[in-house]
Amino acid sequence: MPRFLIRTFLCALAVFLGAGLAAQQTEVVLSATSSAKLVLAMTSPKVSGLDEATVGTEFTAVLRRDLDETGVIAMLQERLPADGAPTKAWREAGAQWLLSTKLTRAANGDLQLEATALDTAAEKGVFTRTYNANKIVPVRYLAHYLADDLVGRLTGEKGVASSRIVFVRQVSPGVKEIFQVDRDGAGLIPLTRHGSLTLSPTVAGDGRLAYVTYKGGAPEIWGQRRKDGPHEKLYPAGGGGGLVSSPAWSPDGKRLAFVQGDRRGNSDIMVLDLATGRARRLTDGNGINTEPSWNPAGTQLAFTSDREGGPQVFLMQDDGSNLRKLTTEGLYNASPSWSPNGAMVAYVSRFEGKFDLFIYKLGEGKAYQITTGVSTSESPAWSPDERRLVFTSNRFGPSQLFTTDLSGRQILRMSELGGCQSPRWLRGR
Amino acid sequence: MRYGTYLVPAAIVLTLGSLACKPPKTAEQIKAETQAAFAEGVQAFKDGKARETNPYVNDKENAHKMQGWYEGWDKAKADKDAADKAAADKAAADKAAADAKAAADRAAAEEAARKAAEAEKAAAFKKAADAALVTIHFDYDKSEIKEKDRAILQGIADFMKAFPAAKVEIEGHCDERGTNEYNLALGNKRAAAALAYLKTLGVDEARFTTISYGKEKPLCTEAKEACWSQNRRGEFKLK
Repeated sequence: MPRFLIRTFLCALAVFLGAGLAAQQTEVVLSATSSAKLVLAMTSPKVSGLDEATVGTEFTAVLRRDLDETGVIAMLQERLPADGAPTKAWREAGAQWLLSTKLTRAANGDLQLEATALDTAAEKGVFTRTYNANKIVPVRYLAHYLADDLVGRLTGEKGVASSRIVFVRQVSPGVKEIFQVDRDGAGLIPLTRHGSLTLSPTVAGDGRLAYVTYKGGAPEIWGQRRKDGPHEKLYPAGGGGGLVSSPAWSPDGKRLAFVQGDRRGNSDIMVLDLATGRARRLTDGNGINTEPSWNPAGTQLAFTSDREGGPQVFLMQDDGSNLRKLTTEGLYNASPSWSPNGAMVAYVSRFEGKFDLFIYKLGEGKAYQITTGVSTSESPAWSPDERRLVFTSNRFGPSQLFTTDLSGRQILRMSELGGCQSPRWLRGR
Repeated sequence: MRYGTYLVPAAIVLTLGSLACKPPKTAEQIKAETQAAFAEGVQAFKDGKARETNPYVNDKENAHKMQGWYEGWDKAKADKDAADKAAADKAAADKAAADAKAAADRAAAEEAARKAAEAEKAAAFKKAADAALVTIHFDYDKSEIKEKDRAILQGIADFMKAFPAAKVEIEGHCDERGTNEYNLALGNKRAAAALAYLKTLGVDEARFTTISYGKEKPLCTEAKEACWSQNRRGEFKLK
């Protein structure tokens, strides 16, 4: 109970701070440094051929934020020694690693970034890398690449600073389109221009997009049959009509799970084999079954069903067998999202009229609450490294994109765009 | 003597043939003869000796000389006849035009009347549709037809029976609480509930299509019950 009160207080504080910082593009809402993180300090980058102010906003700030969001690195923020100070001074200030960077823009516009990290205790280099980039590459991408490689050096798995979010956004009343944005909220690109309701994006491992669009009146699943291919209708083959929703690529990208509704009010999980064009029904026409989410092996699906009354999360094999209920607490549990490593299922649960994110740890058989507060949090989707979740929330405005770490202590607003829904997180490179 | 058998008769045939056939008249000759016949006729007319019969009518060999025939020609009569004929033609043309115009006017009038009747029918249809196709509402996370909406559905059933050609799309909508996908399924369930009820009222279900918009097309966007209850609805649209 005290913890709940503290959370509530922090949230109120966050709302207050958020209002104050609303002019900035993004801001840290809640940030708590865990002692398990590596403390990294950064000297000011050495710059040649670039404007210092540009580097400050486009590189240093981006890199700082990228590293802060990794969940494994804590940026040393206070009592920083001067740039030229000896390693000892940095160590005494608390830095475990000291990162030095040099950014150069050549006469032809090409960029070069040299980065070295020093272990302050052993006083030896732990990371050295040079990045060369064509002049069309934004400076901020170099910051993302460096952040990803530093995380890779530290954990053995590359970070996700250069990843992207695909999501749905309302363009005008009744018109929604699919957009893509960089993980840090920059680089917004529209992916569809159907001029109608376009919903539920899903991205295969190789980047192929599929989604539902109402452009023909009745909903249809559209998407790409091959990498970088044109968007074409995938289902239904004929006219059809009736409810079609919630497509989800299988991990191997050969099958597409989706939902088809009938005229009696039932909706069922189907699996479409792209090669043969045959769709198979997995659930038994018993009420609502929707929101399929594959496990990483492509052998099981998590989904939402109201077969026992209210919506609850269930699991089943990819042939419809071995059905079991996952969530037991709460009257409204939905939006399951199976984690990339398969050990967890994120979902939303309704409590007192608003939704919060939960994670069910399959190994422990227990659910953990991630978000709390007076605002609603919906549509969780995993980061490719399984360290964070992206979700939508109305805490600062109408349905904006946020990310959170798995403890729920570090919630960051991704962008100020309103009217966002159904985010999906994919690797950038 | 071998060739004489053929050459002698051939020579005889050629000689006799050339004697029997006159050479054909040239164009010059025909022209000259025609001119002469014409002049002859004109002269006869001037002399007051216009002939009763055309001497060339039966002259098969000189049929072209008919052009010179001139007999009892009355210029005044010819002019009058021509004028009469022109007048008659004009009168006939005028009458035809007048008839056509009258027919067109009549057709236009008929068309206008038909259109007016159609418009009236369409207006009556639209009025009946507007009156009958009223939005119904649902409770939170529910798809049961409410007691107070039964009269609306009865009105829709009556409308469908009164206008057998009418086709209607049933739209299911939800409020903003709940996930996008679950609400799409719930909207489908609501549309299906309305469809099932209309079926029990005796309307052919093939005349309805159902579509769910979930929470994607709210009427009202404020986060309060007054707004949510408006959004949890079933709409009926003519197709």
